[in-house]
Amino acid sequence: MEIKNFDELSSLEIDTLREIGSIGTGNAATALSQMIGKEVRITLPEVRIMGYNEAIEWIGGPEQVTAGVLVGMSGQMSGVMLSVQKLGFINLVLEQMLGHPIEDYHQLDELGKSTLVEVGNIMISTFINALSGLSNISVNLTVPAFAVDMQGAILSVPMAAYGGMSDYLMTIGGNFVCEEEQVPCRLLLSPDLGSLNFLLKKLGVAE
Amino acid sequence: MNDKITVGIADMKIAQGSGILITYALGSCIGLCFHDPRLKLGALLHIMLPLNMETGRKNPMKYADTGIRETLRQLEAKGASKSRMTVKIAGGAKMFEVNGGNLGNIGQRNIESVHLILRKEGIRLMAEDVGGTVARTLLFDVVSGQGCIRSYGRQDVLF
Repeated sequence: MEIKNFDELSSLEIDTLREIGSIGTGNAATALSQMIGKEVRITLPEVRIMGYNEAIEWIGGPEQVTAGVLVGMSGQMSGVMLSVQKLGFINLVLEQMLGHPIEDYHQLDELGKSTLVEVGNIMISTFINALSGLSNISVNLTVPAFAVDMQGAILSVPMAAYGGMSDYLMTIGGNFVCEEEQVPCRLLLSPDLGSLNFLLKKLGVAE
Repeated sequence: MNDKITVGIADMKIAQGSGILITYALGSCIGLCFHDPRLKLGALLHIMLPLNMETGRKNPMKYADTGIRETLRQLEAKGASKSRMTVKIAGGAKMFEVNGGNLGNIGQRNIESVHLILRKEGIRLMAEDVGGTVARTLLFDVVSGQGCIRSYGRQDVLF
């Protein structure tokens, strides 16, 4: 049966999506680890179905500034994938790759920005590659876009993209741990409803 | 300034006599401040999408068309008159430069839809701060009708 809203997902379906999230995030962690030359682990990935205002509280309030890399998905599956990068993550990357950390987002120069876009893009592509290989679905990705702004507005992009279909935002994603410390970076996959149904069918768990 | 009332996404709040209405982090969404100066009555509406094409219509405040009409209905029920009422709008930014699809231009479509519906309803648009690529937090004083926009990396804008 096709679901018409994210809150209709069964527990088997949610478990399957969490597994996808786990494999995708795991692959992304390996990619990140190779780029920064440090060991990176992941925490238990989550599948969350949240109301809009709930989602903004979950990410840490609307006005806090953060960097975000966004990649659009099209082809057999459409949706948005977002990498939310907070200052701690940015410094981990910049220090390892460019050798100069920053104190504030204002100090991000062109080289720093393009490094973050590329790191975000590689992590997102790795995640999607894993998903695509696992489910045998072909996905095209757009060129990554970058923004530094209030995280409420960044998170509202996937909400607005699917707002006409649902009052909920679904995110599949996980957190990273490097040298025993939580890395403030989230990878969030938000598929649209049709694609989610298609994915679950391909994986053989749609009821 | 202590009695701030928060308006969420796809939400609307009305206040009269005193109060600051606030809505956070408008990206492609638009915040609309309705004001009837004689009654010191104001409403802040936070819409997300241009047109309501949903079946069931559970959440009118999510859309420009149904949101504006429902807000006007509730304000008129409190005695507001369209001829006195003014509106100020902010938001409709483009957060990410994405090529293709309809992801990038939701802000622009929101602006156009809001303009069209306000004109149809005969409400005067007093001021606007729309478009661009910057997120906005909007504060609105229901007594004076003064609006203030806070953004990251930009001076506060009074309007």
